[in-house]
Amino acid sequence: MSEEPVLKVEGLQTSFPLGGKDVPIVDGVSFALHPGRCLALVGESGCGKSMTALSLMRLIPQPGSITGGDIFLEGEGLRSLSVPQMRSLRGKKMGMIFQEPMTSLNPVTRVGEQVIEAIRIHEKVSKRAARARVIEIFRQVGIPDAESRVEAFPHQLSGGLKQRVMIAMALVLKPRVLIADEPTTALDVTIQAQIIELMRELMTETKTAILLITHDLGVVNQIADDIAVMYAGRVIETGSRRRVLKFPQHPYTQGLLGALPGRAERGQRLHEIAGIVPAPVHWPGGCRFRPRCDRAMEVCAESVPTLLPVGLEGSSEANDLELQGEGNHCCACYAVEEPS
Amino acid sequence: MSAPTTPLLRVRDLKTYFPIRRGLLRRQVGAVRAVDGLSFDLSAGQTLALVGESGCGKTTVGRSVLRLVEPTAGSIQLEGQELLQLSEKELQPLRQKVQMVFQDPMTSLNPRMRVRQILSEGLKSFGICKNPGELEDRVAAAMSRVQLLPEQLDRFPHEFSGGQRQRIGIARALAVEPQVLICDEAVSALDVSIQAQILNLLSELQEELSLAYLFITHDLSVVRFLAHDVAVMYLGQIVEQAPSTELFAKPEHPYTQGLLAAVPSPDPDQPRVQARVLGDLPSPASPPAGCRFHPRCGQALARCSTDPPLLELKAGREARCWLVDAES
Repeated sequence: MSEEPVLKVEGLQTSFPLGGKDVPIVDGVSFALHPGRCLALVGESGCGKSMTALSLMRLIPQPGSITGGDIFLEGEGLRSLSVPQMRSLRGKKMGMIFQEPMTSLNPVTRVGEQVIEAIRIHEKVSKRAARARVIEIFRQVGIPDAESRVEAFPHQLSGGLKQRVMIAMALVLKPRVLIADEPTTALDVTIQAQIIELMRELMTETKTAILLITHDLGVVNQIADDIAVMYAGRVIETGSRRRVLKFPQHPYTQGLLGALPGRAERGQRLHEIAGIVPAPVHWPGGCRFRPRCDRAMEVCAESVPTLLPVGLEGSSEANDLELQGEGNHCCACYAVEEPS
Repeated sequence: MSAPTTPLLRVRDLKTYFPIRRGLLRRQVGAVRAVDGLSFDLSAGQTLALVGESGCGKTTVGRSVLRLVEPTAGSIQLEGQELLQLSEKELQPLRQKVQMVFQDPMTSLNPRMRVRQILSEGLKSFGICKNPGELEDRVAAAMSRVQLLPEQLDRFPHEFSGGQRQRIGIARALAVEPQVLICDEAVSALDVSIQAQILNLLSELQEELSLAYLFITHDLSVVRFLAHDVAVMYLGQIVEQAPSTELFAKPEHPYTQGLLAAVPSPDPDQPRVQARVLGDLPSPASPPAGCRFHPRCGQALARCSTDPPLLELKAGREARCWLVDAES
């Protein structure tokens, strides 16, 4: 953790014009990503996690735009870069895997060709040399029979293999940062397990930093080192994987974990979070989780709670973790006590 | 299975094949054996989960039971009455007893109909209501049963959130007072906090109305929460069937073991996932000879190239594997 972060996001704000005014869909998001580590950005649909990822790549769909904060990749601010500068950086320094391998690959081009194209956009190499690299990276990501699979069209590959092709394409230029937006959500569990193992290997072998974007806390627990939980455009809790999953502090994080059916026994009631995630135009002032929170107080409506370090009292395991340097646990909630 | 009386729904050796046709004359050159010899019982108040990955045929089972696709062979009995012999006309009134909840409430609700129309359509077509007053009462009752407000009856589906739309889907199925509910991935498209609301609702309804659920899903954590019995499917066959608690405590079939080992737990103290099932799913049009799972099985023997029978291990527990046989 002593290493400089490879990616640093500070107060990122991304807005869309909705109902005549700019509404910040991503509202003051900050985090740091270190080499060889994985940070998971967790939340339910509409919390702004995917929009955060697209903002990092500067791929926000029209008419949205970044309206505040900045993104630093190896110290370089990305907001001030020109479009060609940004284009040469995408894929080269920062790769991205999308949720739907079926729609992210070109259906009429052979998969090998698509990866070769990605290489030759960034590097002056012959087609032959590029092809050799593609075969090599296909082998690395566990595509069996790599020599013949480079000739395959996307529809000839299974979902798991297509996702491996996407990962190969994102990694072939050895980016420092890999943004993985729901990389396993469309896959079956047995295939998901294969991809999870692959991503874990890649992190240790290549020191690639991974920003994992997902709604699945089970997957987060398999890959992530650190977690940032998002709700309605804001980060509301951050900390190490163990701290957040074992000692969640924010009522929303607690609610999310309590709602998982895997933890409950049959006949037991699952914890419900009342109501639904409101649409951005209806986001309330103050803490945005307040209308659904059973611990809401008056102050929650008046001002926005900031991310503050939390202390865990009374739990010896929590204190042990603190000693192991896992104490960096922050939460944005007025109902959570600060350490004295 | 646990009830001694005749089960509500009794399925024996169900086969649903889809022909593969080629050439100018559309001659049949083969068949996708989507469901290939499936048997199970479902009793009132019970949940049987049909679990498996995409392409295992679980959805086709649900559709075959309703005869939304025509089964090729086998027997489906509802309260002792054979469904496969019936003509479409004879079958129609029985459909009232078996209703379906679909995965995607956005595409399974008619976007041009108001909720009132959606809920009353079934009641009208089965001729359940004698007068408009009764229809109105039943529709309102269905709405409040799924914890929606009768005031919302005149809205269109798009005016509701995903979770609310799934409640409408459930209300539509329940309006005609069925005994069996086939839920095909009914909570898979929902966010966890909303999924929890729907799962709680489904368990309450089952308790209240003594409904039988055929719960089709790929999500094992949902199965553990909801199901009494579980049937694990692989390439059109049941490979293991057991009471839910037993299956999760001690899976017998290597595929079930691999499936459970692949489920990512959110608990940092639990072991991390292992990819024990190798490679990809073979094409269901040409399944491997012998045990259909053996090319992906880490424990396969020479014997596995012959077809293992579905063996009863004890009451209510079956597995289709030579290894399980060898042990007991």
